[in-house]
Amino acid sequence: MAPQRMPVTVTVNGSDHHLLVEPRHTLLDTLREDLRLTGTKKVCDMGNCGACTVHVDGLAVYSCLTLAVETDGHEVRTIEGVAPPDGLDPVQEAFIRMDAFQCGFCTPGQIMSLRALLDGNDDPTDDDIQTAVSGNLCRCGAYRNILRAGRLAADLQRARRESEVAR
Amino acid sequence: MVATEPRELRSVGQRLKRIDSPKKLTGQERFTGDLRLPGMLYARLVGSPYAHARINGIDTSAALAVPGVAAVLLAADLPIREGENPLASDEAIYNGQPLAIVLAESEAIAEDAVLLVDIDAEPLDPVTSIEEALREGGPQTRFSAAHVDEAEARLHNSDAGAAEEKVLPANVTNTVDYRRGDIAKGFADADQVVELTITSEQVHQGYIEPQVTLVAPSPLGKLDVYTSTQGMFVVQNKVAQTLGLQASEVEVHQMPVGGGFGGKFGLNEAMVALAAVAVNRPVLLQLTRMEDFLSANPAPACEIRVKLGGTSDGFITALQADLTFLAGIAPSSPLGIAAILVGGYYRFPNMEITGQEIISNRPKSGAYRAPGAQQASLAIEAAIDELARALGKDPMDFRLQNCAVEGDERPNGGAWPRIGLKETLEAIREHPIWQEREAIRQRGHGVGIGVGGWPGGLEPATAVCRLDADGKLTMMLGSVDLNGSNTGMAQIAAEALGIETDDVNINVGTSSSAPWSGSTGGSKITYTVGAAVQRAAEDARKQILEIAAQRLEASADDLEIADGNVQVKGVPSSSISLKQIAELSMSGDGGVDPVLGRGASAITQAAPGFAVHMAEVSVDELTGETTIHRYVAAQDVGLAINPALVEDQIHGGVGQGIGWALYEGMAYDDAGQLMTASLMDYAIPKAEMIPNIEIILVQVPSEHGPYGAKGIGEPPAVPGAAVITNAIRDATGVRVTHIPVRPEIMARALDSAAAAD
Repeated sequence: MAPQRMPVTVTVNGSDHHLLVEPRHTLLDTLREDLRLTGTKKVCDMGNCGACTVHVDGLAVYSCLTLAVETDGHEVRTIEGVAPPDGLDPVQEAFIRMDAFQCGFCTPGQIMSLRALLDGNDDPTDDDIQTAVSGNLCRCGAYRNILRAGRLAADLQRARRESEVAR
Repeated sequence: MVATEPRELRSVGQRLKRIDSPKKLTGQERFTGDLRLPGMLYARLVGSPYAHARINGIDTSAALAVPGVAAVLLAADLPIREGENPLASDEAIYNGQPLAIVLAESEAIAEDAVLLVDIDAEPLDPVTSIEEALREGGPQTRFSAAHVDEAEARLHNSDAGAAEEKVLPANVTNTVDYRRGDIAKGFADADQVVELTITSEQVHQGYIEPQVTLVAPSPLGKLDVYTSTQGMFVVQNKVAQTLGLQASEVEVHQMPVGGGFGGKFGLNEAMVALAAVAVNRPVLLQLTRMEDFLSANPAPACEIRVKLGGTSDGFITALQADLTFLAGIAPSSPLGIAAILVGGYYRFPNMEITGQEIISNRPKSGAYRAPGAQQASLAIEAAIDELARALGKDPMDFRLQNCAVEGDERPNGGAWPRIGLKETLEAIREHPIWQEREAIRQRGHGVGIGVGGWPGGLEPATAVCRLDADGKLTMMLGSVDLNGSNTGMAQIAAEALGIETDDVNINVGTSSSAPWSGSTGGSKITYTVGAAVQRAAEDARKQILEIAAQRLEASADDLEIADGNVQVKGVPSSSISLKQIAELSMSGDGGVDPVLGRGASAITQAAPGFAVHMAEVSVDELTGETTIHRYVAAQDVGLAINPALVEDQIHGGVGQGIGWALYEGMAYDDAGQLMTASLMDYAIPKAEMIPNIEIILVQVPSEHGPYGAKGIGEPPAVPGAAVITNAIRDATGVRVTHIPVRPEIMARALDSAAAAD
């Protein structure tokens, strides 16, 4: 018996996709297998590690706990859609300057969690930053630098915004 | 803090940014699990539901009927030529052991089919604990002929002091026995004797990227193996042997590793290769997190008893230690390393160290960052603290008075080479937290210190480099970068050649194209491959200078490389650029050999590394929860090639040490079922569990490493549990001897201490 598939229209990183997906398929598998966006990582597949974090309508979610069919008519953003065409996002820039990653496997999820925080809050507290990444495991030990990168990213973002206003 | 000031360095010693940043921050880096090939099948494993069972039969018909399932392979289906079959057939020997491999067009289909494989099995008594293993007439790990991989036993027991042949009891696979002096006299001479037994649970490396391998049979007859491994050449040999191929018929593509920590030295590659050959299609196996916990080489549980005596003038007179490691199904524990380190940090005039390795119905053990050292440090550092207290000595002064220095004898014979233990202890002694510990105690907090050591790793290595047409240098290596070592390699090459680090490309080749190197692990990559890189760059420099000398009509000795040019020293006008030299060497009428530098290293003396950590903690008397307020890590790193990356390694080691100390343990029930097979049940520290870490780099240069560098990955992961339990002792007066110190264990210890008062 061939699995039944459902039509889903979802915007991913600004592009519309019309997909036929099995109702049981997660957003994570759909991103990785159907759209070949493999920056989003599959690690625990049960909401314990945060490596699969993406944005749905601007909110950070675990894509392994989100069904693809739930995203019909919604906007999804992945790590591949974070950097502007001509450079890096302030969070990515801050990760380089604060040395906030080592092996790089949890990194996309960490960046997506911080990006979601900064999308809604230009001036987060240290607690806000820690809470934002509290669901993202890192085994290499980059945590302290990730928190520092979160603070720097907020500064860089404000500076960018102010320079845009000035222009 | 720098013990000797090296010559002026330009690239080495700089805090340069990681060279692999952009790809890893934008999702562009391709890890093994991100690869897809035409015709590729997804593999899922059918694991044993029992820790020990007789398998009467496996019915795959229902699974095979699922649309999209290409094959369900059993042990007999694998074209194995040599070694143990990765699939069990008549006997399962641990919970989760692979019995069958389902291959399907998608992962979801494979998962569906796994549930339909019918296993007819009869559970048998498992060996699940030290007590059960040693019980007279107790269970055996296998009903089939006791199978001990003797080559492996020798490998793991290579440092053991047990010289004479002896018959070991059932389930015991290795022993150690190191003796020095007269132990009875040593204890008779002591004014105080302390005794304690520490226990630690089985833990997992917890790399975020699961074990993952993709194998593709090529139409030309060879096998392409794409895998997340710390040892590409180890994998090449193992796959070739298992399938009866020449090593040259197996090309291992070293993929980026999403965390290894000792756990990725060739686990599933041979199994995946067998499956791919069986169906003649590419096969991808990425373990689920549960499969990873169930089957992927964790670090073994252990129990160490220590008895230590000392005199009222502050000298240790005798050490007696007995170690027991509960390994998995085959000899695989770090018993030998633990034994050497228990008796290695201090001068013990009289010593008796014994130990045994026991096998059990658990997955085969693996290495986890400084294998054996954490447990050894916990045991000896707890005993040293208690002995200092019993003698009324300051625990720092007591350590400084007794710590090993260059020339002191190690338990397994041979003297320590140049080590920085004493200097590192002194660095912590001068820290304000140590100086102000009385005031800290007034606040109800405690301060603890602990030593962590690592003997250092050795394996030969080679490197090859070429001058590219653009005047930059490409350095080719055969060892993978786990956490930033390639950035350090670029700095070493730039330093040796005299160019900018940005002008060095590091290229890790495949097992068919790369120069040979040992595996990445044991804190040896910078020490050994780094030395080869330095020599290769120096060789290239020599060739470049010779070409330039010819062109500039000068002696090579009078030339220098600066700003991308070779010039006569002090005469920039008489120069030729590296780009011009490259172009000349690549043109038909240049008449100049292209520049190809080679470097090799076969260093035979390791550079042991020592870390001394200090923590300030408090314990909630009601809940038993331990809070780490401040953490200081001092480490002798020889010379920091890139201090920022060295500090990152220390951050990581401290985090893992805190995991050992407070959070991590793999629990099995009496039937040998793993009860902590997810990241919800197995607690890897989260951001809020790791305090700020203050780092002090001590630099006592090594004699053979590049620019004096030592391996730095292992030591920072060692002292955590010792430091935190010593700090808990300082804060509460209670000595906890079991790790992890979960709140309930701590609360119970506080209750029994209160009841005893």
